[in-house]
Amino acid sequence: MGTPNSAQLLSVRDLRVEFEYESGAAPAVDGVSFDLAPGEVLGIVGESGSGKSVTALSIMGLLPTPPGRVAGGTILFEGEDLLPKSPAAMRHIRGKRISMIFQEPMTSLNPVFTIGDQVMETVIYHERVGRRAARDRALEMLEKVGIPSPRARLEEYPHQLSGGMRQRIMIAIALACTPALLLADEPTTALDVTIQAQILELLRSLQDEFKMAVVLITHDLGVVAEFVDRVAVMYAGRIVETADVAGVFERPQHPYTEGLLASIPSLDTEQTRLTAIPGVVPSPFELPAGCRFAPRCRHARPPCTTIIPPLLPRGAGHGAACIRHVDYRTEGLKS
Amino acid sequence: MSDAQPLVRVEGLTKHFPIIKGLMFSRLAGAVKAVDGVSFTIGRGETLGFVGESGCGKTTTGRMLIRLIEPTAGKVMFDGQDVLSLQGEALRRVRRRMQIIFQDPFGSLNPRMTVQEIIAEPLVIHGESDTAGRAQRVRELLDVVGLASYAAGRYPHEFSGGQRQRIGIARALALRPQLMICDEPVSALDVSIRAQVINLLQDLQRDFALTFLFISHDLGVVKHIADRVAVMYLGKIVEIADKRTLYARPGHPYTQALLSAIPVPKPGRRRQRTVLKGDVPSPIDPPSGCRFHTRCPHVMDICRRVEPALQADASGQHVACHLVHPPAQPST
Repeated sequence: MGTPNSAQLLSVRDLRVEFEYESGAAPAVDGVSFDLAPGEVLGIVGESGSGKSVTALSIMGLLPTPPGRVAGGTILFEGEDLLPKSPAAMRHIRGKRISMIFQEPMTSLNPVFTIGDQVMETVIYHERVGRRAARDRALEMLEKVGIPSPRARLEEYPHQLSGGMRQRIMIAIALACTPALLLADEPTTALDVTIQAQILELLRSLQDEFKMAVVLITHDLGVVAEFVDRVAVMYAGRIVETADVAGVFERPQHPYTEGLLASIPSLDTEQTRLTAIPGVVPSPFELPAGCRFAPRCRHARPPCTTIIPPLLPRGAGHGAACIRHVDYRTEGLKS
Repeated sequence: MSDAQPLVRVEGLTKHFPIIKGLMFSRLAGAVKAVDGVSFTIGRGETLGFVGESGCGKTTTGRMLIRLIEPTAGKVMFDGQDVLSLQGEALRRVRRRMQIIFQDPFGSLNPRMTVQEIIAEPLVIHGESDTAGRAQRVRELLDVVGLASYAAGRYPHEFSGGQRQRIGIARALALRPQLMICDEPVSALDVSIRAQVINLLQDLQRDFALTFLFISHDLGVVKHIADRVAVMYLGKIVEIADKRTLYARPGHPYTQALLSAIPVPKPGRRRQRTVLKGDVPSPIDPPSGCRFHTRCPHVMDICRRVEPALQADASGQHVACHLVHPPAQPST
């Protein structure tokens, strides 16, 4: 993907993150590149250990260091590289220009401060306003995220709220300073399906209202299909496929994406047997040479164990890291 | 179903967990009505799916069947025997015929035991065969669940989540049970591993003529594996039906909302969605009448006063809703 694109809101190039342990270094993210336009919604899909959360934490400057360490790459946000920035400089970006919401609405809030204090803290820190103005903003945000009787809730503590309500509070805090980019890391995974539907509707309407860009990290392909514009599929630290949402679901080009889609039980049709991907995700300490999906891939052939495939173009805005496509068309003609 | 006696018949099963307040002069301050009068049957070789959101009582129901939780009231008949009245040796004899697989493949295996010891433990407890015989049986079981025989000498931490779940399944199979309670067996697994374990469970059901109670919050998985599905809400079964009926024309407004809330992995196919308002009420003081009335989009006056009974229609679809089965109106 070459040089970072400063016309984009966010431009990540060749990001490499390692986790160093006594037993060796594990490459959690290995050469990830993507762009995000203002107001665009990107979904990053992958299983546990694929590097999707580590990518988001690197953008936020919240990587646990040690053992984590950015080993290379650039993260251009609003034209500036975030990686060389000092912790103090990042504090002025986090919560103001880039916000993040997490999977656990239970543990992301501080149990000893009121809801009001926690929403106001961000506003007071970034906008240097007084408590009264911050409180007004907090009240406004609680109304926006659909908290019933928001004035009373300002005085309450996190334990008095349900999981869905806590996630609404997290969203209120994240959006209080109208950031240009929201990173949402599995925001609905811990919630029940009816509450998940509420939170997704809320995120969609707020994204529309604030015109912010969103990176939605999830393992749930259903959530991705309904929420995002563009998708990046990650496997073992790399992006293996990227396309607009229709491209990924209707014309998947990477065998891993195909396998993921085939392994979900469908609500519309009846199958007697699910198409499972054999094997397991490789350990980051014992990554296979060449394509990391090759040991589980039914299309794998000898070159796959030596060549690390780059993202090859497969149509407009569609890329897949698979050498199968080198002679894919001739195969199609033969059959 | 009607020609043979069902393997499991549950009637009015209830569990109220007491809430005790005060240390010195402790008193009963109320009860969490986790399960409140649940009745159903499971036919031989059938898979009954149990769906519902957290706190609806599906796990408690599953555990009461095998008396991991003692019910407050109700009746559990297993193959003609009243499970709740059994004690001692008679209870042990029934228990070996029903086994459970847990959600958490990390917490449900003892980290200090080898896989051999874990899988052989039920055999030891029930005094089956000698050491050599048990080692042989463990090798067979490992093969059945798709693990290599050298796994026997290893410890749980050396395995991935999916492999650990296979170990848990092997342990549950050790005593050749008839009934398997599967409590969210794939929820903790990654998408690509989930399909492997579901396929394994289906193979085992076919090969060993197993009956499944399959508890899950994932309606897609339940649709794939179950024959019939029961939907729970706040300790009650609100709907129970053949899966094709339930997914094609859900009768209860809660079932309808649950189904419409599932995000479908097909872009551009966003259906008309019923987004339920609010949260599930507390089971300590559940709403009067129909427990779903606080969130129901079709709530009527009667729903706040009268609790709807679970009633069947001609096709055998049971629904507990005044909208579906209007109560006989007094002439007013």
